[in-house]
Amino acid sequence: MTRHPRQPSCTPAEPTRRRRDLAAVGLGLLLLVATAGCTGPVRSDGVYASKAAATAGAAGSAVQTAELAVQEAAAGRLFSRGLAQTLAEAASDAGDVQATFDAIQPPDRRSEVLRGQLDRLLTPAASALADLRIAARWGDTAALPSVAAPLPELAAELQQFQEAHQ
Amino acid sequence: MARRLDAALELLDRQLIGNGGTLAGKVDDLELTDPGGNLEPPRVTAILTGPAVLAGRLHTPVGRWLARVAARLLAPGQDQLSRVPFDQVEAVGASIRLRVAAGQLDAGAGEARVGRLVGRIPGAGDAA
Amino acid sequence: MRKLLEIALGVLTAIGGFVDIGDLVASTETGARFGLGLAWVLVVGVLGIILYAEMAGRVASVSGRAVFDLVRERLGAGVGLLNLAASFFITLLTLAAEIGGVALSLQLATSVNYLLFVPIVGFLVWLVCWRVRFEVMDNAVGLLGLALVVVAVAVWRAHPDWGAMWHSATHPVVPGTESHTAYWYFAIALLGSAMTPYEVFFFSSGAVEQRWTRSDLVVNRLNVYIGFPLGGLLALALMVAAALVLEPRGIDPSHLSQAALPTSLVLGKLGLALALLGFFACTSGAALETALSCGYSVAQYLGWPWGKFLKPVQAPRFQLVVLASITLGAGLLLTTLDPVKLTEYAIVLSAAALPLTYLPLLIVANDPAYLGDKVNSRLSNAIASAYLAVLVVASVATIPLMIVSKAGGG
Repeated sequence: MTRHPRQPSCTPAEPTRRRRDLAAVGLGLLLLVATAGCTGPVRSDGVYASKAAATAGAAGSAVQTAELAVQEAAAGRLFSRGLAQTLAEAASDAGDVQATFDAIQPPDRRSEVLRGQLDRLLTPAASALADLRIAARWGDTAALPSVAAPLPELAAELQQFQEAHQ
Repeated sequence: MARRLDAALELLDRQLIGNGGTLAGKVDDLELTDPGGNLEPPRVTAILTGPAVLAGRLHTPVGRWLARVAARLLAPGQDQLSRVPFDQVEAVGASIRLRVAAGQLDAGAGEARVGRLVGRIPGAGDAA
Repeated sequence: MRKLLEIALGVLTAIGGFVDIGDLVASTETGARFGLGLAWVLVVGVLGIILYAEMAGRVASVSGRAVFDLVRERLGAGVGLLNLAASFFITLLTLAAEIGGVALSLQLATSVNYLLFVPIVGFLVWLVCWRVRFEVMDNAVGLLGLALVVVAVAVWRAHPDWGAMWHSATHPVVPGTESHTAYWYFAIALLGSAMTPYEVFFFSSGAVEQRWTRSDLVVNRLNVYIGFPLGGLLALALMVAAALVLEPRGIDPSHLSQAALPTSLVLGKLGLALALLGFFACTSGAALETALSCGYSVAQYLGWPWGKFLKPVQAPRFQLVVLASITLGAGLLLTTLDPVKLTEYAIVLSAAALPLTYLPLLIVANDPAYLGDKVNSRLSNAIASAYLAVLVVASVATIPLMIVSKAGGG
């Protein structure tokens, strides 16, 4: 395979217009990629519903994580340090997810109703996880299962919500 | 003792090795001399090495910009070109062996300068 | 007998050193979100890295030169520089992600915030690159990484329905909660995590560091053909564990702690401790590898002296690049960017840049000027070219998929 991909120098000056175009394309691409993970304003109720479903899914994930962690801790399978961390992460995840969702303006009446429904699930979930985080921080491991009691039902309701509005 | 080489293939971008066996950069460019009006091909009279040289050779604007940045970072305020007359070349093969020491090239001087800086960190003189 | 021990050490190190934070995050997350629906991608990725790692080791053993060294020579300064820029940037991101992984593992063990560990880990990574001998470093982290076998043990002890698992792996279905674009986005991410570019640079540079020659070709092949598949099995175990424990509960892991939950569920505190040790070891090893790879790629492109086998004063600019890379990586983490998110971006961008790494390697491995009679066989060329075609498709699809699927967020 003989190739001559290189030549010694003595090349003419490059046209600057091509360079500018390339730079513009590159910058545009960079912006697109950088904002790929962002959420923007919502125009239709279909998009809003799917965002609500995603939020329910994320909150459900945090609730289920906490539930599983408490179960494992009760069975002596987790170190108390790890448990405290996992519960703290779950609580902050639920809080973040709710805050992000609440910041989105519902585009119409129907979406506003949907938002109310979801908030009625998110708020007790976030508060239960916050209670768990506090109890774990105080080392009150015996009380954890009872504090975690509402979690399974909340998880089921969140899952139902997610499936209904997928 | 002239030899016909395909300069682009066999010389450019090859590894330079100093007479002590140390790596001494790559062949970044070649100095060609026009032998005159005859139909003879140009002769390679020197090997050029150094980040500024590389910057001058690259075709793509991005490449040139990168090489210029590198040149500024790596050899600030110094003559960034190193010219090795072709009679200092001992052997041309997979790598180009030189008769001069790596430290005598300007690329080698850059290494020495950083070497003094790095040498201050404890343990720099010890083999790992 | 000594040779046997040497081979065993090489194989074990290859197994323990296979998984890094990218594999950890990608395997766990795809297992939790898609069950075993993306297991086939892992198999494809592992086979790909085996094929190309063997090539990289062969190139280094026979020609005595590392792959990146030869890229500029073979493909020219312009292409080589483009390759260097892309590879260096991505390896730097990966380095930051690995340091983040080490810090997170330490946070899980001690409850101290990971950000406090970042500078310490950075310093220790640099110190090992500076002082510790290559073989010692390679073997130590590789053997420690074997602790990750506990995840495979946990999967075994969970007594899953193997038949059902085989069925779902061979008949992939996109779950109702996920979109098809997210499925393919994660497929590419998983591929990028298995075939990370730095592996090839590190493997070939390491072969030169350890002065491999033709006589080491057999050992090289054994390491790769036995060690890498078993290492890939560990990544698969992580995926299966997540599919068994996290998926049914709808848990989408965004924290390292969630990756350890399946193991502790089955094996309790001991299993958890070993899993954390495994996380720590494999991310530490990868942090060292990526730091050195940053140095290798720059030094080899510019022709500087390089390598840990040289005293630092003999390769000062190489060492400076390593130090600067670690500093930049640690600095990136200290902006409190989420390490797990950073890992996801690093592996996806790796996937986008894969052809840049593997095409030059394929070209070099076919060049008799470097490999003599040890060039690729027709069969391996055929398979390698097929892989390259797949990688190009994946690479081109990466950015559009990332935009449409909102980086997997759906």
